[in-house]
Amino acid sequence: MRIAVTSLGVALTLAVAAACSSASGGGSHPATLVVGEFNPFSGPDAAFGPEMVGGCVPAVRLINADGGVLRHRLTCVEEDTKGDPSDAVTAAEQMMATQTHLIGVLGPSSDEALATVPVLNGGHVPMFADTGQAAFDHSKYPYFWRITPADDVKGYALAIWAHQKGYTRAAAIFGSDVGAQSDVPTLVTAFTKLGGTITYSKPLALQQTSYRTEIENMLAGHPQVIFTEVDPQTGATFLSELQQLHGLIPVIGTEVSLQAPWLRAVKGAIGAGAMVKSFTGMQPYAPANTPGWTVYNKSLLTSGISNPSQWSTDPYSMTYYDGVVVMALAMIAANSTNPSVFNAYITQVTEPGSGKTVVHTYAAGRAALRAGKQIQYVGAGGPIVFNFWHNSTGAFEAAQYVNGQLKVAGTVTAAQIAQLTK
Amino acid sequence: MNTLVPAIGFGIVTASILAVAGVGFTLQFGVTNILNLAFGDIMTAAAFVAYLVTNAGASVWVAMVAGAAFGAVFSVALNRFLYTPFVRRGTRLFGMIIVAIAVSLIVQNGLLAIFGANFFSLRMPRPTSVHVAGMVLTTVQLAIIGIAVATMIVIHLLLRYTKLGKAMRATATDPELARNCGIATDRVIDLAWTISGALCGLAGVILVMNVTAFTDTTGSGFLIPIIAVAVLGGIGQPYGAMLGALVIGLASELAAAVFSPDYKNVVAFVILVIVLLARPQGILSEIATRKEVAA
Repeated sequence: MRIAVTSLGVALTLAVAAACSSASGGGSHPATLVVGEFNPFSGPDAAFGPEMVGGCVPAVRLINADGGVLRHRLTCVEEDTKGDPSDAVTAAEQMMATQTHLIGVLGPSSDEALATVPVLNGGHVPMFADTGQAAFDHSKYPYFWRITPADDVKGYALAIWAHQKGYTRAAAIFGSDVGAQSDVPTLVTAFTKLGGTITYSKPLALQQTSYRTEIENMLAGHPQVIFTEVDPQTGATFLSELQQLHGLIPVIGTEVSLQAPWLRAVKGAIGAGAMVKSFTGMQPYAPANTPGWTVYNKSLLTSGISNPSQWSTDPYSMTYYDGVVVMALAMIAANSTNPSVFNAYITQVTEPGSGKTVVHTYAAGRAALRAGKQIQYVGAGGPIVFNFWHNSTGAFEAAQYVNGQLKVAGTVTAAQIAQLTK
Repeated sequence: MNTLVPAIGFGIVTASILAVAGVGFTLQFGVTNILNLAFGDIMTAAAFVAYLVTNAGASVWVAMVAGAAFGAVFSVALNRFLYTPFVRRGTRLFGMIIVAIAVSLIVQNGLLAIFGANFFSLRMPRPTSVHVAGMVLTTVQLAIIGIAVATMIVIHLLLRYTKLGKAMRATATDPELARNCGIATDRVIDLAWTISGALCGLAGVILVMNVTAFTDTTGSGFLIPIIAVAVLGGIGQPYGAMLGALVIGLASELAAAVFSPDYKNVVAFVILVIVLLARPQGILSEIATRKEVAA
């Protein structure tokens, strides 16, 4: 009996040791490395998750097709935060406890970042966050990386676009959730700074059966334009009731309103014609047809995920894709799959520098690193230049929904935003 | 002041949807003593049935009938094949709540698996606006108010003037005594689930007609106000639920008009708490004081 127990103990110890060694630097058993898609896949922000899949899966396919990272294959695993901080903390702890070969995560979003960034950072998990919260503008978490613009920047972009269009009176219709509300202060500041007036700004309770009372109150201020970030159901109800009560006025939404579920819900509620006439969405500018984008898009369209083309020009999907590739290249540069080791190499493979080889794909980056060269990865979303606080932001584009496709109507440059933030 | 009158109109629309759902919820609870927390998800499932029906080319009126029929059949089946076996095994109130939550999650995630994480709209003619006594309502909202009023009248006639209604009230008051008096309580319970399910399905369809876009969680998000309506009126009391719906519907819209949209739910539930402090049995309860809530 004692022999049996001892044998079991030895077997368990060996199993644990094998699992640990394969996560920390090219051990003899090439385990499959896990990239956690740490975002809401259910709840009001369930649209975020599929957008992340649209970036992660194409990246992993290309990396695996090129032989993986240090002989390890990669895989994307959905980790549903439900958009709720308490659920997300549990999900983060569970993910770190059960995913032995976790090398990093995409996310968290604004819904759960404040609660989960410290947890993930404490677990030494590199994260390519899609939160826009200004609280991370000066992040001191070494494992936190952000290649999407912060919300305060987004507020500036919305205000500048409205100013360019000649609007001077605006209503701010933002959901009462943390993510949406974090856009409001800089939007109000920027629009006022540009000479405009915010005539109505009250947090909107989400997913109510009616918003007619709120619409009546909003219309009393005679706004020329509506700034908005609400979930698809709320957006559909609000805008259809506005259309019935008064007729639509121009709407400028954040990138949330350019996601497929939002467009589908609102188009169903107000009609495609009204969408074209009244709606513009602002999102981070990621030019298509660049070398990095072409590779991303080709892999995306053949990835086998549902309706892949909807993510072709989605800047968030592109940045998720880039996040995975950057982690993979950092692992090669560090010659380690241990996050505590390769995290420090992330800036080495992204920052520009004289004599560096610019690469647009994982395969090219891997080959250059193997040849002993220093690289700058410029991926699907364009150059990534992290500042001291691991933030990298750029320009914005105004997109309109025409014939089921997003068309770029104009841009707000990084210089314009910088001018306003002086 | 100019926003108060429209707010009353919008409150009546919200109250109408709440009334149909709240009466269905409380009617079933009054007779069976089972807290069906899957009610909101059955509403959503009925909305998806209506979506399929309108997509097949049928009118929204046909979709309403289909949604109500689905709700009725699903609810009866749910009771027959799931809730009743648990009750027969002696599962008590807390256990039944867990079972109901499990059903809720199964239905919700089943819908997610079938239809995906997306938003859907019923195919129906675009509504036009109608001015009524200083209020601007749409033809859809007028239809919802009409449906709710008609439904409440039918429920009133059923409960007051039919043998079934009397049998349901008797079963709700004291099932043992009702059985001893010759009432086929099993049949009455089946019919209570049928009526409740039909109201649930109908409420799901009119809810998504009003909100215009829905997803797999739309109905479950509406469950708390439905429970509030039932509790405010006196749990198990259809007439109380009608009154509770009016109070909650009007209070939430007036709060949004007078204070801020943020206070919409706050004010409604503050009223609920105050009323319950004064009348713990609810506004119109005759039964709740006599009936042990725990099974």
